[in-house]
Amino acid sequence: MTIEVLFAEVCNLCGDAQNAAYLKQTLPDAEVIDTSLPDRPFFADHTPDMIYMGNMSERIQRRVVETLRPYRDRLQELIDGGTVMLFTGNAWEVLTKHISYVTEKIELDGLGLLDLTVKTDWFDRYNGKVLGRCGDIDVIGFRSQFSMVHGDNSQCAFLKVERGIGVNPESKYEGVRVNNLFGTAVLGPILPNNPLFTEYLISLTGTQAQAAFREQAMAAYEQRLKEFRDPKTEF
Amino acid sequence: MDKLRFYVAMAAAKLSAVGLRLLGRNASYLPGLIAVTICKNFIGHLQKPETLICVTGTNGKTTTSNLLNTVLTNSGEKVTNNSFGSNVQGGVAAALLLNSTFTGKPKNRIAVLEVDERSSLLVYPFMAPDYLICNNIMRDSIKRNAHTDFISYIINSAVPETTKVILNADDIIGAQLCPQCEKKVFFGVDALPPAKTEGMTARDIVYCPKCGGKLEAEYLRYNHIGRWRCADCGFASPARDYVVTDVDKAAGTFTVAHGEERHSFKLVNDNIVNVFNFCGAIALLREMGVPYETIETAFQDTELVKTRYDHIEAGKLHITRILAKGQNPVAVSRTFSYTAKCPGDKKCLLLIIDDKEDNIHNVESTCWLYDLDYTPLKDPTIDCMIFAGKRCKDHVLRAAMSGVDLSKIVTTDEVKNCSALVDTQKYQDIYLLFENYWLDEALAEEKLLVARGESGT
Repeated sequence: MTIEVLFAEVCNLCGDAQNAAYLKQTLPDAEVIDTSLPDRPFFADHTPDMIYMGNMSERIQRRVVETLRPYRDRLQELIDGGTVMLFTGNAWEVLTKHISYVTEKIELDGLGLLDLTVKTDWFDRYNGKVLGRCGDIDVIGFRSQFSMVHGDNSQCAFLKVERGIGVNPESKYEGVRVNNLFGTAVLGPILPNNPLFTEYLISLTGTQAQAAFREQAMAAYEQRLKEFRDPKTEF
Repeated sequence: MDKLRFYVAMAAAKLSAVGLRLLGRNASYLPGLIAVTICKNFIGHLQKPETLICVTGTNGKTTTSNLLNTVLTNSGEKVTNNSFGSNVQGGVAAALLLNSTFTGKPKNRIAVLEVDERSSLLVYPFMAPDYLICNNIMRDSIKRNAHTDFISYIINSAVPETTKVILNADDIIGAQLCPQCEKKVFFGVDALPPAKTEGMTARDIVYCPKCGGKLEAEYLRYNHIGRWRCADCGFASPARDYVVTDVDKAAGTFTVAHGEERHSFKLVNDNIVNVFNFCGAIALLREMGVPYETIETAFQDTELVKTRYDHIEAGKLHITRILAKGQNPVAVSRTFSYTAKCPGDKKCLLLIIDDKEDNIHNVESTCWLYDLDYTPLKDPTIDCMIFAGKRCKDHVLRAAMSGVDLSKIVTTDEVKNCSALVDTQKYQDIYLLFENYWLDEALAEEKLLVARGESGT
């Protein structure tokens, strides 16, 4: 099993670095390749079993778009081929058609792999939670973001939202799933917070594994799921 | 019209302050909020004290503000400050208006105001600080502060170019603040360079802000605090104008150098984050022209405020209570690291670090726990950890992921009476780490522990 972690030195805001750490602990025999921004991505010449990229600042996001632009077609090929990918926070926005940075007055074409657009405004921060279903798995998560994604993701959503918002306040569909590409605005500890989803994600690579520290992770997950379903809990 | 609005706001705010005091309530925020709600430019209309000092940055604002207040008060000044109040716009307005006459004339010559970074755009356009000190800029509350680019942008957009800024040279992010300001003074700490880079889950800067090349660290103390250089373009941490050259823990002193001058001060607290705070405060005071002797004398009488740090001997028990600012991963990481090095070879930690408000009819975002460095809790001198609060199961998972021995961990959902879980027959060195908003509860648990220590139960 080969996992490529893209740009972990900068794509690590909001605890996102620990998703890769949790994968390493769940799959101790996996080869984890940390690709830094100046490096040629491993996926350019190989087919990793999984690619992960985490949340980042807007300045870094623009650099990531330009870094990945030469590999746009290769990423499309990997998505079409079913490579498992997880892009969290605002990482998956680089795959969209266009990003408008309202505060900074910058317009940027994304990689155009998703027929969606993004609007980012530093003076319009959204903090919230989301509870939704991915197949038959309940996924819970936290969100803090300056950006909202626009466009129709209803046929390719990561989560059908039970509580919280989707890709924007009018949507009940969160993130995207295209083949085995998962893009989600859920931040930080999506994997340790969702051990069942972690196991499912790994199973898509053809490997079965029990989530690391499963007993402790399940205890925290079940308590949070109960809290998220409590009608008194504000979203 | 705006001036009339100002006087109405002043009257309403002063009246509300009187009312709050009659009710025995704190008047350090609401009057200011009323004032700026009625008159947006309320702060702008007030006449400012002759010298206006603002203190900002992610960590160390309160400690630095308190130090500045102490030294200036000891030197005979009456100082307008918000040290017991809020550091957002309403708190700043309240501090200024409560120390002004009805016509808006300041009662005191100097003001020292702690200003939350997020409030910069609501404060600085209405009052130009003569001095602004920023201790550091690093990741903080995910919900409010997002990331360091955002916070730097806000501060840079708000601070006037006439302000003299006092910046931490060892914080390569904070050191680049306020490019519009010509008057800059840098401070730092050269003493006690770490033997190795301390573990930290994430850093806020990796690449050169000038050319994008990889920054190389000469050394790092924590997060990105240290000395950096870009091999590609030569960009580097700036030289320090005021620098701590020696920290003598045994003698309880530290030395600050400025040019050829060397002066020693009482080491009020030996946590490295506070050594930075002390140096920054000294740099600012010297730039104001306060004599070294005045500063040295004031430091002799200074202690960290008891609400943030306290140590009590109770019978056989040594009880230390330390603030661990919740949702702030760097601050809590530093508290963990500091506690691990504190006295005691068999310590018991009582941790009340969940957010208080966010767990009432809500569920606290635990993202910050995943930026928090739990590895200091592996220190062999820590024998027991009691996590108290609704997120205790999340702490257990994070501790497990960090390699902490789970057999040392005890949990309880309830903060109230959590100290009952401390085995005072087994543990004498007890450290109570608490989130700011749990202060009252932490004091109550401390009191229970003191009673048990004194009675020997």
